[in-house]
Amino acid sequence: MNTFLQVLTNGIMLGSLFAIVAVGLTLIFGIVKVVNFAHGEFLMVGMYLTYVLTTWMGIHPFATVILVAPALFLLGAVTQRFLIQPLMSADDDHIQIFATVGLSTALINLALLVFGADIASTPASGLRTPLQLGPVRLLSGQVAILVASIAVVVVLQFFLSRTQTGRAIRAVAQNRAAAQLMGINVNWIYILTFGIGAACVGVASVLIAPLYPTSSGIGTYFVLTAFVVVVLGGLGSIGGAFAGAMIIGLIDSFAGFYIGSDLREVAVFGVFLLILILKPSGLFSSRLNLSHVSP
Amino acid sequence: MKLSYLMKTTAIALALTATAAQAEVKFGSLYPFSGQLALLGEESARGLELAVEEINAAGGIQGEQITLVRGDAVDNNQAIGEARRLTSLEGVKAIFGTYSSARSIAASQVTELAGIPYFELGAVAEEVTGRGMKYLFRTNPTADDMAKMIIQMVVEKVGPGLGKEPADLKIAIIHEDSSYGTSVAERQNAYAKEAGLSIVTTQAYPAAIVDMSSLVLDLKNREVDIVLQTSYQNDSVLFLQQANEAGYKPSAIIGGGGGYSMQPTADAVGHDVIEGVLDVDFTQYTVNTSYTPGLEQFVEAYQKKYGSAPRSGHSLNNYVGAKVILEALGKASDLEPDTIVDTVKAIDIEAGVTAAGYGFKFGDDNQNERAEMMGMQWQDGKLVTVFPDSAAMTPIKLGE
Repeated sequence: MNTFLQVLTNGIMLGSLFAIVAVGLTLIFGIVKVVNFAHGEFLMVGMYLTYVLTTWMGIHPFATVILVAPALFLLGAVTQRFLIQPLMSADDDHIQIFATVGLSTALINLALLVFGADIASTPASGLRTPLQLGPVRLLSGQVAILVASIAVVVVLQFFLSRTQTGRAIRAVAQNRAAAQLMGINVNWIYILTFGIGAACVGVASVLIAPLYPTSSGIGTYFVLTAFVVVVLGGLGSIGGAFAGAMIIGLIDSFAGFYIGSDLREVAVFGVFLLILILKPSGLFSSRLNLSHVSP
Repeated sequence: MKLSYLMKTTAIALALTATAAQAEVKFGSLYPFSGQLALLGEESARGLELAVEEINAAGGIQGEQITLVRGDAVDNNQAIGEARRLTSLEGVKAIFGTYSSARSIAASQVTELAGIPYFELGAVAEEVTGRGMKYLFRTNPTADDMAKMIIQMVVEKVGPGLGKEPADLKIAIIHEDSSYGTSVAERQNAYAKEAGLSIVTTQAYPAAIVDMSSLVLDLKNREVDIVLQTSYQNDSVLFLQQANEAGYKPSAIIGGGGGYSMQPTADAVGHDVIEGVLDVDFTQYTVNTSYTPGLEQFVEAYQKKYGSAPRSGHSLNNYVGAKVILEALGKASDLEPDTIVDTVKAIDIEAGVTAAGYGFKFGDDNQNERAEMMGMQWQDGKLVTVFPDSAAMTPIKLGE
C-alpha cells in the first residue's frame, strides 16, 4: 500500500512538472495556431537565465522569476512579431513550423557557444530536501511545482474568461476574421498571447532549474511530452493541459513501476493513441476547436 | 655526391629555420569539432595533437615532420564527406579519430575503399572493429572491456569487501536504451553469468528521461545490493539524486563511463551524495603513475599548450594511441598503406609502460587486445583509481 501511494505521489509530481511546461504551449498552439518547436528551447533559455542570475547575484532561484518571466515574455513577443507574423500571410502554414524548428536549432547552438557542452547546475537552495509525509516521500521543490502549476492554470483561466483582453484572445482563437471585424487588433493579440505563453515557460524554468541540471539539450527532454499533453488535453484548453499532464504523469509513473521502465513510453503513447482514436479533438476540447474551420 | 650533399645542407638549413618547409607528411585529424559532441571531440583531438608535437620535436617520422589536417565530423554525413576530402584532396597517409562510434563507422567505410589506414583512438562501440576491415585499427578499450572490468571489479573487490559470496549479491543492471547502453548491459549480463553472479533485474530507459523515481522504487523494493548503470550525464545525475532522495542506499553503485567520470556530475549531484560511487572508464589522471609512466609529462605538456588541466581522460587515451602508432611508423621503411598495416600488426607492447597503462597488441580483427579500462571511485569529491591493484592510488572503500 505504501508503495502504491509513493508511486501515485511520484505520478502527481511528474504530472505537475509536465503541466507547468505544457501550459504555455497550449496557449500558443491553441490560439496563435503555431506549432512552436522552439518551446523546449525557450525552457532552456529560461533555465540558463535562472542559473546565471542565481549564481551571479546569489539570490534564491525562485526570486529570479521577476526577471526571467518578463525576459521570456519579450523573447516570445519578439519571436511572434519578427519571425511568425511575417510568415502568417505565407501561402503555406507549414512555413511557420519550419521557422520555429530553425529557431530551436539556432538557440541550441547559441547555448553551446555561450555555455559550452557541460551541464550547469543551479544551486538547489533547499529545494531538493526530501519531505516525509506519512508513508510518502517527496521534494520541497516538487511541491512548489505542483502549487505553481495549479496557480498558473487558475490565473490564466481567470484572465481568459473574465478580462476584456482575455475575451479578445478567445475571440481571435475562435474566428480570426470575425474578431478582426469586431475591431480586435489580431496581430497585437497574437504577440501578447505568444508573450504570455513564453512567460509561462519562464515560470516553469525557474521552478525546474534547481531540480534538473541545465544543458543545451534540456528542452528536448520535455518538449515531446508537452506536445502530447497539449493534444491530449485539447488544443488551447488550459485546464485540459493540466488534466492531460496529470494523466501522462500517472501513467508514466505506474507503468514505470508495475510494468517496467523500458515499457513506460509504450504505455504513455499507447494510452495517448487510444484517447485520440476515441476522442480525436482531445479530452477537454471546447468550442475553441471550431477555429480550425476559420481561414 | 654533390646532390646529396646539397640536400643534406638544405635539410639542415630548413630544420634550423624551423618553419617546416622541409618534407612533410600529412595525417588526418577527424573529430567532431562543432555541434553537440564538440567538447569531448576537441578534447580527444588535443591528445592526438600533443602526440604529433612530441614526435615532431624528436625528429618526426622517417625524417619527415608531421602535419595534421583537421576534418570536422559534425554528423555522420559530414564525417564521410570530410574523410573523402582528407583522403583524395589532402592526400593524407592515414586518418586518426574519432571519439564518436557512429562517425567512425561511417568515415572508415570511405577510407577502407580508398585503402587508407584509419586509426580509431577513442570510440567504444563493438561494431567499429567488428566489420572485417583491413585498414581500420582501434587502440582503445571498448564497451565489452567496460562490461568485463565492471564484473571483474564486483567479483574481486566489491563482493569480498562487503563480506558476501558473489552469488549472494543482488545485482541490478540499469542502462539507457540506445545501442551503447544496451550493448554494455548485454555483455554485463553475459560476464555476470560466467562469474556466477545473480542479476535480479535489467531495466532500460530512454536517455532523455526526466523521472526515475519508479525505477528507484523498484530497485529499493527488490533490495538490490549493487546497481550497475550505463548512462550519459543527465541520467547519471538524475539516478544518483533520486536514489538519494528516496532514501535508497545500495551497497555499491558502479557507473559505466560517460557521466560518471565527469567533475560537473559530481558537482551537480553533490560531493557527499556521490561519495563512494564506483565507475569504470578510460584511464584517468589520479592513478598510480608507476603503472602509467609518461602521464605526468603528458599533463605538463597539455597545461603548457592549452592553459588548463585536461578536461577528461579522452585526451590521454588519444595521445597514447597516436603516440604508439606514430612511433611504430617512424621505424617503418615507408608509409605505403600495406607497410603501415604490417608495421602496426607487429606492435607488441606490454601493460604498464604507456601513459594509459594498457599495452598494445592487435588481434585478427585489428582491435587492440591489451586495451583495458580501469576502476575508479569518487572519494572526497575526486575520482581516484582503485582497480586493478597495479594502477590503484588508494584501496576501494565500501560500506559506511
